[in-house]
Amino acid sequence: MRKLLFLATMILVAALSAASANAEQKEVTVWSWFVQSTMEKSIAAFEKAHPDVKVKYTYYNYSPEYITALKAAAASGSLPDVIGLQPGSLTQQYRENLEAVNDRAAKQWGDNWAEKIFPVNRKQMLMGNPKGDENYYIIPQESQVLCIWYNRKIFEKLNLSAPKTYDELKAAAKALTDNGYIPMFQGAADGWQNENVFLMLANQFSPGIVDKAQAGETPWTAPELVAAMKAWKGLFDDGIFQQGALGAHAYPTGAQLFAQGKVGMMALGSWWMQESKFPPPLSEFVQNMDGFDFFYLPPVKDGNPASPPVGGIDIGYGLTKNGGKNPEAWTFLAELTSGVGLQEALNDLNDLPAFEGYSPKGDITDHVKELSARFMADLPKAENQRFASPAVAEALDNALAGVAAGSIEPEAALATVQVATEKALAVK
Amino acid sequence: MRAGSAIAAVKRRSASRASRLYLFVLPATLLFVVFIAYPILWVAGQSLYVGTSAGAVFAGLANYTTVLGDPTFWTVVRNMFLWGVFTIPVQMLIGGVLAYFIERHTHALRGFFRTMFFLPVVTSVSVISLVWVQIYAPYYGIAQEYLKHVGIVMATSPIGDPKSAIYALIIVNIWQWTGFSMLMYIAGIANLPTEVLDAARIDGAKGWRLAVHVIVPMLAPATKSLLLLGVIGTLQTFPIVHLMTGGGPNRASEVFGTFIFKQSFVLGDTGSGAALSVIVLVIALALSLIQIAVLGARLTPAGRQRP
Repeated sequence: MRKLLFLATMILVAALSAASANAEQKEVTVWSWFVQSTMEKSIAAFEKAHPDVKVKYTYYNYSPEYITALKAAAASGSLPDVIGLQPGSLTQQYRENLEAVNDRAAKQWGDNWAEKIFPVNRKQMLMGNPKGDENYYIIPQESQVLCIWYNRKIFEKLNLSAPKTYDELKAAAKALTDNGYIPMFQGAADGWQNENVFLMLANQFSPGIVDKAQAGETPWTAPELVAAMKAWKGLFDDGIFQQGALGAHAYPTGAQLFAQGKVGMMALGSWWMQESKFPPPLSEFVQNMDGFDFFYLPPVKDGNPASPPVGGIDIGYGLTKNGGKNPEAWTFLAELTSGVGLQEALNDLNDLPAFEGYSPKGDITDHVKELSARFMADLPKAENQRFASPAVAEALDNALAGVAAGSIEPEAALATVQVATEKALAVK
Repeated sequence: MRAGSAIAAVKRRSASRASRLYLFVLPATLLFVVFIAYPILWVAGQSLYVGTSAGAVFAGLANYTTVLGDPTFWTVVRNMFLWGVFTIPVQMLIGGVLAYFIERHTHALRGFFRTMFFLPVVTSVSVISLVWVQIYAPYYGIAQEYLKHVGIVMATSPIGDPKSAIYALIIVNIWQWTGFSMLMYIAGIANLPTEVLDAARIDGAKGWRLAVHVIVPMLAPATKSLLLLGVIGTLQTFPIVHLMTGGGPNRASEVFGTFIFKQSFVLGDTGSGAALSVIVLVIALALSLIQIAVLGARLTPAGRQRP
């Protein structure tokens, strides 16, 4: 009987202590489309530094799963504490559900915290805010720089070098095609990849012109943008892009072919470095990024410079109104964007940091370090790649596809973007 | 008097029984109200407002006039018409022929053929989309690999050309759903009364004559069901288009599903997305009522209809 009593007491004590431990364990809920394996490393590092906090991460595909989940949760007031965001339109859609983070950030990183963020990112953080609203609703975690990656092993085999002129680019594309390779893979069924190449072109004709156009300061039908649109069509007509590009997707098709060494060039960005950190087996080209290097789009017209770096925030995070009531949510967000969480993401080569003073560490080759350093040197002078209004981005996507297909002339296509811009600015 | 009270008692019992029977309908009614009627009314209400949820302003029918004045809407209507006109009859025809030959001319391998032709129906749309994008890809695609042996070089991808994109998607849809039509007809053929078939054979009907003049008319309920489901399925089309073309190039392959998705979730214009949803609902309702009025509501397999 005494033994039984003792056993019952022990069970009760164990149950009570477990309940007490659960009560002490605080939880932060996070939703995003961010690579799950990398996020798990960031969370593990955070939980090690904050053992009393448990982070519950829910991964979604970006479209349609993530954006529909956000919409439904926002309508029912059940958003998690922290949500992954892109600057501009996505952040603006949920601005009313987000906390302004200025005070928390100043307390965390000092009054000059925003100056530690690269200028292009800082600009994008405020993108789409109503006039006079200087609050930040998104803290960037990672930045990116857009570029043209090329397979340097294939180039070497064909006696090619990174093109510096448009003629060299055309010659490289022809040599690649003649030797059975895809010249430059363009997933032109994806609006985002078309936007990226167009931004490279437009900023070559006049740096910052797309920003001026989307702000209503320059018409979309300006000669520089028309020239950029014509140059865009030229990339299809001159055989730079592969045949049938308009029906192709950058992911997974293009990326797989590029990684397998079947593609000569592809317009991607600094995030491509992460391929080398994916689980094996990796191709000889992807292994330590041995097969890859990058260049910026050469001048498409005599007298133009090469495309400047274009980029900005890859991904950022917002603190929801629900998260504002949970002090641990900000702690996690801060560590994820500028702390142990960010460092893990960088070590995984996910992309470039948004805050100054970070660089990837760990098992990384000199070649990758050199690539990363070149991107980091270019990031402070990058032109903006994001759009404040989704309607303008959508109109540009349609214009680019229409011009590429030959179903609309560049001037007429850009006029439709102008109409969308005027409408968006009038609503604002 | 005794008879009168007995009748009254029967009436009371009958009324009480009827009210008890209503209780059995209650769960289904509640589910319908909560998950169907309320969302429909909510969406209809949203279609009358513009702006975000926090700052929505009553706008009457403004969303409807905006949507109807948008050229994309009419591209969508045209695409939906083409989708319905091509997919429904072609799927029924191929599915019916397959069902006939599998049921009447295969024996040992009947299960194998049924499974093989039904496989696309249960395959993930994501996988189907990936495979068909690769099939359509010129230059490095799967179809091109075979076509080059007969000297054909694909210059463009059918899904990358605004003129052919919708037809290329229709082919994928037919490929995926023909197995479903086949299965419906197999069920219909299995339920055909053997005495009618035997009588037809005794009268000399066989082969083509038996199929066209006896079997096809007796499969009318299956055909009507497929027609009804086909129209509804057409209006619900989304994943194949979203994954393969995203409604492009330049909105050439937009369908109601992708158009509503873009308006509501990509552009954040919930009002016009809701207006579009209401329009689709009205179209679906009207088409269903017309079908029932014209073709009748007898959708059960032949020979199994309740008297």
